Amino acid sequence: MLQGGLLKPVADFADDVHRQRGFSCVDCHGGDPAATERAKAKDPARGYRGMPKGAEVIAICARCHSDAEFMHRYAPRQRVDQASEYASSVHGKRLAAGDTGVATCVSCHRNHGIRLVSDAKSPVFPTNVATTCGSCHSSPDHMKRYMGANGTPLATNQRAEYEQSVHFAAMTKRNDLSAPTCNDCHGNHGAAPPGVGNVANVCGTCHAIFQAKFEQSTHKDVFDRGCVECHNNHAVLQTSDEMLGTGPKAICSSCHADKSEYGYMAAEKMRALIETLKGTLERDGALIADVRNAGLQVSAQELALGEARNRLTLARAEIHATNPALVEPIVGEGIKILAGVHRAGDQGLAELRFRRQGLFASLGAILLVVVALALKIKQMDRGTTH
Amino acid sequence: MLQQRVITWLDERLDLSDVKHFIAEKGVPVHTQKVWYYLGGMTLFLLGIQVATGILLLLYYRPSAEEAYESVQFIVSEVEFGWLIRNMHSWSANLLIAAAIAHMFSVVFLRAYRKPRELTWLSGIGLLFLMFGFGFSGYLLPWNELAFFATKVGTGIAGAVPVVGKFMLRFLRGGDDVTGATLSRFYALHVAVFPMLMTAFLGLHLLLVQRQGMSVPINVEKQLREGARLRQIPFVPNYVLRDVLLWYVALAILAALAALSPWELGRKADPFAPVPAGIRPEWYFLAMFYTLKLIPSHVLIIEGEQLGVIVFGLAAVILILLPFLDRRSSRAEPNPFVTWAGVAALIYLVVFTIVGYLTA
Amino acid sequence: MPSPRTVDMASTDGRLERRKFLDMLLATGFVSTILAFVYPVWRYLIPPATGEPTIASVVAAKASELKPNSGVIFKFGGKPGILVRTPEGELRAFSAICTHLDCTVQYKGDTSQLWCACHNGIYDLGGNNVAGPPPRPLEKFVVNLRGEPGNEDVVVSRA
Repeated sequence: MLQGGLLKPVADFADDVHRQRGFSCVDCHGGDPAATERAKAKDPARGYRGMPKGAEVIAICARCHSDAEFMHRYAPRQRVDQASEYASSVHGKRLAAGDTGVATCVSCHRNHGIRLVSDAKSPVFPTNVATTCGSCHSSPDHMKRYMGANGTPLATNQRAEYEQSVHFAAMTKRNDLSAPTCNDCHGNHGAAPPGVGNVANVCGTCHAIFQAKFEQSTHKDVFDRGCVECHNNHAVLQTSDEMLGTGPKAICSSCHADKSEYGYMAAEKMRALIETLKGTLERDGALIADVRNAGLQVSAQELALGEARNRLTLARAEIHATNPALVEPIVGEGIKILAGVHRAGDQGLAELRFRRQGLFASLGAILLVVVALALKIKQMDRGTTH
Repeated sequence: MLQQRVITWLDERLDLSDVKHFIAEKGVPVHTQKVWYYLGGMTLFLLGIQVATGILLLLYYRPSAEEAYESVQFIVSEVEFGWLIRNMHSWSANLLIAAAIAHMFSVVFLRAYRKPRELTWLSGIGLLFLMFGFGFSGYLLPWNELAFFATKVGTGIAGAVPVVGKFMLRFLRGGDDVTGATLSRFYALHVAVFPMLMTAFLGLHLLLVQRQGMSVPINVEKQLREGARLRQIPFVPNYVLRDVLLWYVALAILAALAALSPWELGRKADPFAPVPAGIRPEWYFLAMFYTLKLIPSHVLIIEGEQLGVIVFGLAAVILILLPFLDRRSSRAEPNPFVTWAGVAALIYLVVFTIVGYLTA
Repeated sequence: MPSPRTVDMASTDGRLERRKFLDMLLATGFVSTILAFVYPVWRYLIPPATGEPTIASVVAAKASELKPNSGVIFKFGGKPGILVRTPEGELRAFSAICTHLDCTVQYKGDTSQLWCACHNGIYDLGGNNVAGPPPRPLEKFVVNLRGEPGNEDVVVSRA
């Protein structure tokens, strides 16, 4: 009968993927399951390892998981470089230097009860990653011994910041599991912060078009932290047009504060371009909606409105090159399209005016009849009272 | 005069003396309640508008789930004055039902259904129910989102009728759910079955009105029996001109509504879309709809909705049989109970329609 | 219209004048209102230039106009669609609205893919999103050929 400390590991192991594949306690812990005496069963001479710690964990897992031939029998598509990646990570390097406070395999994957990464209950399933990393990185108590480059303790607010981000919203509200969490930027087994100068590459794996535009910008060589300079690292907030230009919420003016300076004017100019297109789009969209509600056919105008909206999206991407001369032609195309929409909308309004005039003409005729009839009835009744 | 010659020409061949006599003799009584006489003529005029605009809409409308919405959109946006015809049809339908309901209540309060006019009442109630049928079936025909879900709810209520409900629901929907098959059925009802029945009922109704003349209120009738002379104005032309005048006013209102407040088409029905907010039936079903919503899901052993449907069914039977139930009026005695019941019904309908409109 | 009963015995010349004027007014009113009713109905009866409502399907292009490994944008209702001829010569049609932010996608000949210029979204020729931000595949339409061989219209309809 099992008692005390052993109850939990055995209960957890019931759901473990290794158990489902036919492994048991001794495959990791060693010892002799056939032995009836405690001393013989747990005899280090017979390979008993007890509870592994630190680097031992890596070694035990790596025995199988770094063996391509072995892994091929169970999971042919799984990578086998986790141990060597781990060695390159900040965790791995500190472990090698003797720090046992860092994460090892079991910190993230659990010790007993290990589940497939694709299992929603796994601590490394995309929606659980931030919580798993946060169990150490959000704990000031745990992190206080680790110093950053400038000598102060590492921050512990990454998870809180991440939870404000569009990435977190995409993951949790839209259930988009491809949205990035910690490991998508930092790596998982080779976890390390992206180095200075690499940020654009990291973000660019998904946001390719913005990376390409940013490469054209003069800011490419100025922004040490690339995208992060404007968009933050963990708290990547929902963007808005207000971030551009020189208004109260604008980011550009935090550096370009001098009105006579080129950057200030460029920022203001780009914002003005975007706002012009946006305003025209809104105005003509409302015009077409009015005309449509009155029952006129506007499908061609709706198509054109869509095209103009395209230009707005393109212009919003183009501003990442931070060059007004590149934004201007795109906005110009949009305005040109909208001019045609506006003409058609005006024609629609003219048609509506025609309808009203027609209505008033007929109402006039009807009024004439009503008045004449009323007089006629009065006249007639005078002659006939039975 | 040309007019005189045409009449003479016809007279020589058809002998119009009967008609001439009828026209010369037909009069409309004059008394304090005479204003209610106009409601019947108004209902008839609006019905005429419905027939005319309905036939015009048939030229371009296509009754299928794939094309119905698009064809209505085509009518209002591509066909010249199509917007006018469609808006007139939609607005006139609502005014028509309002006029018909008002006509019915005036008949109730004046006891015009009493002996010998029971058949006129029965044909009139038939016409009223037919108009509800027209309204319900016509609402679905543009195949827009609101109509689709309202029809789903409406036919669902039919499903609550005891014993035959399940069958009625399938029969109305042309299947288990509201689909293109429902649209085909409602189209057939709206343009073939109901108009045919309407013609028969209307013919009977008008024939009876002409045969029996206008009913006068009980107190006026009493005075007549005591020897008072009935004041009348000639139907042609004095009364007809009054009717025409009111029709012109109605036409002006209709034209203004159609041109200034177009009936929205909304979005095309999508059976897989979630039910949009604010689904409610046409206003004339709102009181019933709201009542059914208020009844708890179970009352004793009977299902709430079923109970509601039974109560409304009973109310309809009482309404149909009113001339036979109200024996006192038939004996020309006053019956305040009918007045009070009528007022209560009117208050109930108005309050529940308004509350239903505000809460839906 | 006047019947014997309505003749006013005490009519003077002035009254006769007024009655005549009233009748004329009434006749003018009747005629003009009748014109106001008949005119819209008459215009309504004339078939409109656009023919008939066919929003459920649309002629996207002539089959002969579209070379292999190319695509063309067409109007489907108020929205853009894209008709594609694959390098193998097969015709396919999709909604041209990118599922990311509603930009219009275009055919990219060098990679034989559908490409959205706004944020570099890429779809394969089955309409599946394969790279970039698009969260879903493009909506697929049904393609049929209609007309004489060699001069067929490509008819695109909703699935």
